[in-house]
Amino acid sequence: MSDKWKLAVAVIVLLLVGSGVATYKTLRLGIPFWRGEQVHDWQIEARVSFIATGRALKARLSLPATAVENHAGQESGSLGYHYHIENNLGEYTALWSAAQREGSQALYYRLRIPESTRSGGEPLPAAAVEAVNPGFTGQLLEAATAMVTRATSLTHDPDSLFVALFKQIQGEAGAQELVVLKRHYQKEHGENALIQMGIDLLQMAGVPARISFGVRLDEKETGSQPPLPLVEYFDGAYWKVRDPARPGSVLDGRAIFVWHRGGGPLLEVTGGEGSRVVFTVVRDRIPMATLADLRESPLLVSTILGLPLSERAVFRYVVLIPLGAFVVVVMRNILGVATLGTFMPVLIALALLEIPLARGLIMFSVLVAAGLWFRFLLSRLNLLVVPRVAACVVIVTLLMMLLGVLGYRFGMSVGVQVTLFPMIIIAWTIERMSLIWEEEGKRSAIIQVAGSLMVAVLAFMFMKIGQVQYWAFYFPELLLVLLAGILMIGRYTGYRLSELFRFKTFADS
Amino acid sequence: MSENIHVRRRKWWHRWLLMPGELRERGVVGINMRNARYLLPNNPRRLYRLVDDKLQTKALAEAHGLSVPETYTVIRSPHDAARLEQKLAKHPSFVIKPACGSGGKGVLVIDGRDAMGRFLKPSGSALTVAEVRHHVANILAGLFSLGGQRDQALVEYRVHPARVLTAISYQGAPDVRLVMLHGYPVMAMLRAATRESDGRANLHQGAIGIGIDLATGRTIRAVHHGKPVTRHPDLDVDLIGVQIPQWERILEIAVTCQEMTGLGYLGVDLMVDETLGPLMIEVNARPGLAIQMANGVGLMARLDPVVLQHRMHPGASWEDKIAFSKQQFAVEE
Repeated sequence: MSDKWKLAVAVIVLLLVGSGVATYKTLRLGIPFWRGEQVHDWQIEARVSFIATGRALKARLSLPATAVENHAGQESGSLGYHYHIENNLGEYTALWSAAQREGSQALYYRLRIPESTRSGGEPLPAAAVEAVNPGFTGQLLEAATAMVTRATSLTHDPDSLFVALFKQIQGEAGAQELVVLKRHYQKEHGENALIQMGIDLLQMAGVPARISFGVRLDEKETGSQPPLPLVEYFDGAYWKVRDPARPGSVLDGRAIFVWHRGGGPLLEVTGGEGSRVVFTVVRDRIPMATLADLRESPLLVSTILGLPLSERAVFRYVVLIPLGAFVVVVMRNILGVATLGTFMPVLIALALLEIPLARGLIMFSVLVAAGLWFRFLLSRLNLLVVPRVAACVVIVTLLMMLLGVLGYRFGMSVGVQVTLFPMIIIAWTIERMSLIWEEEGKRSAIIQVAGSLMVAVLAFMFMKIGQVQYWAFYFPELLLVLLAGILMIGRYTGYRLSELFRFKTFADS
Repeated sequence: MSENIHVRRRKWWHRWLLMPGELRERGVVGINMRNARYLLPNNPRRLYRLVDDKLQTKALAEAHGLSVPETYTVIRSPHDAARLEQKLAKHPSFVIKPACGSGGKGVLVIDGRDAMGRFLKPSGSALTVAEVRHHVANILAGLFSLGGQRDQALVEYRVHPARVLTAISYQGAPDVRLVMLHGYPVMAMLRAATRESDGRANLHQGAIGIGIDLATGRTIRAVHHGKPVTRHPDLDVDLIGVQIPQWERILEIAVTCQEMTGLGYLGVDLMVDETLGPLMIEVNARPGLAIQMANGVGLMARLDPVVLQHRMHPGASWEDKIAFSKQQFAVEE
């Protein structure tokens, strides 16, 4: 009984650890669980345009600090401009300058960011700052005071104030004071009127706030988009960025990327008129190796990506061997297929991975058949066992070379790959088979070789499944789940499928 | 035993197979169940070497007063093998077997010599000294041993089976196999060679498995290639109702084998010599399951009562055990 418990505990622990790590990697690190799913990144292009007036030109575009610091594949292209990135205490600015320009100008800045839950608008710790009173007068002061009082009567918490004020501003049934304020701001500030108004009201309520700009990450939004105005406010310890359109929710990094924060101007152009910046976003597939979250995680070692490139090729096969072993366990202990040597089929299956299946099987049959024939010739010489097997290895090797050369001559390039066949294993297979041939007759020898080949082909087909390979490479911890399965089969006491046939004589008893 | 005999209706699939439930109902033990339920718990690993090495088994058996085929010589090295001819000179017939072989692999039986001094197999084919020496070299290299490690070759007395047994076997010597659990004889069968099996006693090579009534030592059922038969396919003699000579002694030997090895679940192979009586040939720590087919009875039907009996009477004497098995597993005529 206690053995049963030990097994149950071991199986449960293995299942939990295996699936737990895999879940973490999928949900947190963003490795897709299914092979077809791709990881994407966003390519954001900022296009600065203006009309040069012929004087010395200087254009400054504020850049997202997180993206620049993470070396997120930035590039810029603008012919004839001097360009560099200026770092001012962690705030980055792209700076273009040119001596004399005329007519309409366009400057580009391109950035790649991984698809991630981080928006770049995370709380930023900062020293305490004082809110700057916007200095309303007259009717405006009355209206603003009314609104702020209404909000502060409920709460003084900056987060809640933010929500309360922007909910009021968006409110359909506008109170009288809101209408007054709106009219004023629309006249003064144009397109970002409501945002500016909210910021001023926040400041008046004692919460430092400033405008910030983001980019909407929406694949369906083709063409360019203007900067998305956001609000950055100080909650006493951190600067936070929120979308005033959805005041209640934290920014979702999958929908919005914060391009500019810190209160300074997004774009400044001297020597030009009518300057504006627009963004274009494109969603791109990226190789898994560049997954930012994964690279930073210690769990990187638990995927094939944790290895240097040169080792990956070997690892690709190593990690498949347990899958083959699992197939062998199922075939032997549940189906009851007789094989020559327990894990010989796994090695053949590995070899088959490199060669087209039909050709691999033909090669194997030819090698074994020819080897057997040589083995019978050798047996006349009455050699000792180890020299005999070694002789067999030599013969098999020569046969392989011959097949390779012939294949090459006849234009089958795969002939050369045959060398991957485990020669020693084949030599032992030949030796064992010839023994069984003599001891038990050719029928059981052929049955066992056919059984081995069948298991090998099944193991091969299992290992060949793209999804299975994918899991083995990127979720090796799932092998623990496989291990749990093997442990359970290890305690399977039911009949093997072959036994249902073997014991059919009991039908009459 | 008063068991309700209910006729099971034959289903269409019985021609090919039985459903797992049907096998369980008949008490048939599969390999997985044998290993998990009977081998692993009852046979500690360290005891295996006692039975896997026939030299050790024979020494142990002789120390316990059991009769075994006399060992003529043990060939331990190529040097011994070189002097094979002198060593065998005074024995007209003998058996060469690997000390650590299994399932009858690598066993060479020599019945005599021909005019040219060549060795004759029971089938009549002749082997030169060089061929015999080569076979010995293969044994030494471990070709037939369980793990493939180096081995020793055992040359021993060629049993001349009792006439009543040779009468039902084609060329080969029939042997008796008993399966024991906790020292209780559980099931027994006789394995008789056919022309097809070429003197060997392996059922899957075409030998006949003949079930034996534990109480009387009389054969009750015979199976050839999984199908019940009553007559020998080559010799055309009756296979049923044959009395195995010295059955009581055979049971005693089997029980002693269990006591001396300490294995809980084991198979004991014996041969009955015309003059020497029952000889212990080998002890098998992983006895096969074909014995169920020879008897037409699932092993579980016999193992379960033994497990119960052993739990209730852990210190039963060997006489008690034999008596229990004879009484419990007797087949009514």
